[in-house]
Amino acid sequence: MVSPAIALAFIPLLLTVLIRCRFYFVLFYRAVLVRIWRDCVTGLSREERAYQYVLTHATPGDPDSILDAFDVWCSKMEFISTIGPKKGKVLDRMLMEQSPLTVLELGSHCGYTTVRIARSLPLGARLYSVEMDQRNAAIAEKIIRLAGFDDDTVELIVNPSDEVIPRLRSEYGLERLDFVFMDHWKKCYLPDLQMLEGTGLLGKGSMIVADNVLFPGAPKFLRYIRKSGLYEWKVHRATLEYSRGIRDGMAELVFQGIK
Amino acid sequence: MAMLIATWKHCVYVFATGLEDEVDTFQEEHERERHRGKRRDGERAKKKKRGNGEGRKRASRAGREEEKLQARREKKGRRKKSSSDQQAEGREGDEADQPTTKSSKAAKTRKNVKNEKTRKVEKEEKEDEADDEERNRKRKKKHGSNKKEENVEDGNTHTVKEKAGEVKKKKHKKVVETSSEKETSEEEDNEEEDSEEKEVRPETLTPEELETLKEAVDERKKLIQGLRGKPWAMKKKLVTLRESQEFVEKYEGALGKGKGRKLYAYKIMMTKKWMKFKRDFENFKTACIPWEMKIKEIESHFGSSVASYFIFLRWMYGINMILFCLTFGLVMVPEALMGRPYGTIPRKTVPRAEAPSAMDFAVLWDFGGYAQYSVLFYGYYNNQRAIGWLKFRMPLSYFLVGVGTVAYSYMVVIRTMARNANESGVGDDNSFNFSWKMFTSWDYLIGNPETADNKFASITTIFKEAILEEQESRKDDNIHLTRFLRVLANFLVLCCLAGSGYLIYFVVRRSQKFALDGLENHTWWERNEVNMVMSLLGMFCPMLFDVISALENYHPRVALQWQLGRIFALFLGNLYTFIIALMDEINLKREEENIVKFNITTWEASLYNISASENSTSPPVTIQPADVPRGPCWETMVGQEFVRLIISDTMTTYITLLIGDFLRAVLVRFLNYCWCWDLEAGFPSYSEFDVSGNVLGLIFNQGMIWMGAFYAPCLPALNLLRLHVSMVFKASGSNNFYMAMLLVILFLSTLPAIYTIVTIPPSFDCGPFSGKKRMFDVIQETLESDFPAWFSKVFSSASNPGLVLPFILLMVLAIYYLQSTSKSYKEANVDLKKKLQTQNEENKKKNKLAALKAQMDLEEARKAASPSAEHQKNNNASPDQEADEEEDRDRSQRMYRSKNRRSPPPHRHDGQLPATRAPVPRNYPHGNQGFAGYLPSFPRENEARMHRVPSLQRH
Repeated sequence: MVSPAIALAFIPLLLTVLIRCRFYFVLFYRAVLVRIWRDCVTGLSREERAYQYVLTHATPGDPDSILDAFDVWCSKMEFISTIGPKKGKVLDRMLMEQSPLTVLELGSHCGYTTVRIARSLPLGARLYSVEMDQRNAAIAEKIIRLAGFDDDTVELIVNPSDEVIPRLRSEYGLERLDFVFMDHWKKCYLPDLQMLEGTGLLGKGSMIVADNVLFPGAPKFLRYIRKSGLYEWKVHRATLEYSRGIRDGMAELVFQGIK
Repeated sequence: MAMLIATWKHCVYVFATGLEDEVDTFQEEHERERHRGKRRDGERAKKKKRGNGEGRKRASRAGREEEKLQARREKKGRRKKSSSDQQAEGREGDEADQPTTKSSKAAKTRKNVKNEKTRKVEKEEKEDEADDEERNRKRKKKHGSNKKEENVEDGNTHTVKEKAGEVKKKKHKKVVETSSEKETSEEEDNEEEDSEEKEVRPETLTPEELETLKEAVDERKKLIQGLRGKPWAMKKKLVTLRESQEFVEKYEGALGKGKGRKLYAYKIMMTKKWMKFKRDFENFKTACIPWEMKIKEIESHFGSSVASYFIFLRWMYGINMILFCLTFGLVMVPEALMGRPYGTIPRKTVPRAEAPSAMDFAVLWDFGGYAQYSVLFYGYYNNQRAIGWLKFRMPLSYFLVGVGTVAYSYMVVIRTMARNANESGVGDDNSFNFSWKMFTSWDYLIGNPETADNKFASITTIFKEAILEEQESRKDDNIHLTRFLRVLANFLVLCCLAGSGYLIYFVVRRSQKFALDGLENHTWWERNEVNMVMSLLGMFCPMLFDVISALENYHPRVALQWQLGRIFALFLGNLYTFIIALMDEINLKREEENIVKFNITTWEASLYNISASENSTSPPVTIQPADVPRGPCWETMVGQEFVRLIISDTMTTYITLLIGDFLRAVLVRFLNYCWCWDLEAGFPSYSEFDVSGNVLGLIFNQGMIWMGAFYAPCLPALNLLRLHVSMVFKASGSNNFYMAMLLVILFLSTLPAIYTIVTIPPSFDCGPFSGKKRMFDVIQETLESDFPAWFSKVFSSASNPGLVLPFILLMVLAIYYLQSTSKSYKEANVDLKKKLQTQNEENKKKNKLAALKAQMDLEEARKAASPSAEHQKNNNASPDQEADEEEDRDRSQRMYRSKNRRSPPPHRHDGQLPATRAPVPRNYPHGNQGFAGYLPSFPRENEARMHRVPSLQRH
């Protein structure tokens, strides 16, 4: 039998692991345990709860107030993976500098990022937002309309991204994408990027921003852009949205074209 | 000759097919440069030594002609390169005189070609083939170009215009050339002359010429030596180096005459051979250093800090090697060879009770059974004064080796420390923080792209942290919170230390209880509890400290020091708890020993009684040595404990390595493809190599060796094995700080060993000192019996306090004196440093002033010169030159030229052309026009400008 003294010697290890990974434990608690519990209690999905909260706490037609309400809900009540206020500011700045006319968003989830992008777009710009999940898309639609953006500014496409991208040119009449924001499945980052390259919608100077490249992380995507040489890229290092200790990054790519 | 024709044909073909593709490659460039050098020489030679001798004249002509050819070639090449901007410039003036110059030149060239051909034939046998070929090609090109040019002239006025531009350029260059010819002081001058003389056979030279040749060779050699310090571009350096080497190679052997010449060649050859041998020997020496190549590889993969750990490891290995040699050669081998064999006396036999389990597999890690009763441990050695036919003094040797290992370790550590102290201690770390980071962060030994990426990332984070820290320090708010947190952290660490100390003490006491009960009744876990707990605590507590130190918010360097200090305290505490527990055990054993002693006397008495009672005349009863009762040999026990400690420590190290590093890496690498977050960049990631922790582990390991080596001579051997394995296994600077730690550990670990040696009497029936009161009595014994009487008398008189005390006093005084001198030296050093700094600043100021003054002078001079420029235009290029100079931003050059303004400007190296040179044609668009009878020269310079002009005009 293992002696108790040897077991005691493992206490420092246990403590170390506990302290080191405390943010992950908190995240696990908030994103998984609380969610399951609330799902059982309310009978609504997480996105619906978020929508309810926003509906009751935000001013309709005011994107800022809607975003604020979202932030409060995500940091105080439950956890939804959106871009978050800090990385959102970086995104705002990039949009201001770029002032793109055609924007593609992959993965709108419940519309937070869509609203965020749409509010900093120049006049006459158009945002195509792609969402795979029907229910999420319905909520996103509501949120976007609540924020006061009409069909001309934001077009929501309910389809998986790998089906949408090849048809962008033919069905939506796009010639060039100025700005692409990726925040859907991390595994799809790389295939979608390659698909975008294949369609020829990216021109010189097109910017592609990918969220969560470090956590949960898209290693293949990073490896690819490092090697491909088509992009000028950098990773904005930040922390995961609504969490202090988990490092995350947002990759900013500028398409240089084939030399 | 056949070769010549072949090349000729080839060249013609080349010209016919693709003249436009006149090669622009690098090599071509080099070649051209070489030719240019010759050409320039030729011209200079012509001017200087006109009519000096037939050979020379010929050579010079050849040179000139070559030059022309060169110009033409270049022109062609450039035609393609330079865009139409140049045409615009050149279109105006030169259209008229272009054809004339061209035709005359062409004629001349043809003549020259003939000349050269004849000369060539003469010399053909003597010159080596490569040279030959090169020249042929040149000539051919020339021909081709002539033809081609004529064609072009006929057909295409456009090109003519273009050419005109070229011509203008060339003229300009030529002007520069002529002016530069006059001054002879430049080193390149000599150089070029030499290369001209290359054309001449060494045999036909007069003594003076030979002399000049020799000088030239020397010059070249000097050039090669000083090349590294020259402020030239790398390209130029390489070219010059190659040229000079070729030259030296070629003409070195040719110097001297007749017999002397051969001797000279022989000498040269021998020096070369010797140099090669020396280089090979150096390589061999490097190859002889163990693991040198491996460490270099590691260095390139993981950076120099990790490599420094391995260098430290190697150093440690060396020390252990010597310790091992001492103990093995002077203690273990003599005992094994010449001592009494196993089984002859009780101390060399496994007792009857232990015999059944003496060959168990557990012996391998418990070191009981046969391992305990072998040369590996103290108890096996006999107290026989001299053994074998050599009369080897075994106890004395044992004692001296024990002392010698410690003394040697002290010596080595202190010597290394002193050496390191000389190297370090330059500059203070705290000032110019960002500059240090900026310019010294990169590890130039990294040779792996991935590592370079990592290094890049780490430098970035370091910068970010440094900036953050700077901001924090500016803010300086909430000092109370920080203080509180620091106190809290220290409190936590102290708790942790106390807890680990108590746990070890508890475990050791428990193990004593187990030992009293009898080890057989307990499981393996319980028997090895002490070692396991010690190793585990030593492994996990540093991690906890690391986490706790995040609270403190120290600068990373300070944090590292704290961390090291804490780990040090932990290890030391653990070790000393262990030793204290061992001391308890020793006392217990000694009590036991007394009882056994008493028992033995009764046992012997009973034995005697039995034998006496049975039959007084019968031979004494022979008793198996295994049956003889014996005392608990505490020395062997101590040795065993240390050996077990080392073994379990090694095991834990490898298990951690396997689980913590290897399995983790495998997991991260192969699970990364199907995991929901990025394992590599995110949470588990790959483990980093913790240099400081590993070095500390190494140091404490060594401390244990030093402690236990006296009682278990096998320890250095074990350690050697361990270090060796870790060397191979861990392929995944001996700083003074670590050295100081090593010294402290050495002291602290020898302390208990010396204490036990001096105060505790040795066991009565085991070990080389059995039967003596103290272990060091062996020295006295030796003195009395092995040395003459006078020696022991001298020794005893020398060791009386009256003599020893003054000696110690003297030593203290000497140390004090040395220390104070070193302090004063240090102060002097600091003063000198300050002085140097101030001098530097002063120099800077002075230079600035001088530069300003020079600029003023130059301005004035320019004003004065500009009216006369127009005047001189036709035969001198000084205005142009000066225009160039003005654009030249190199201060020193400007100064120099401003002094020699009236005299021809210094001959500039081509590659050194300042990059900031502005478009001359713009400033003086009229300056180059209307020159007749130019000689194209300085094609490279021209070319440089040509490249520049379009780009500037585009802007």
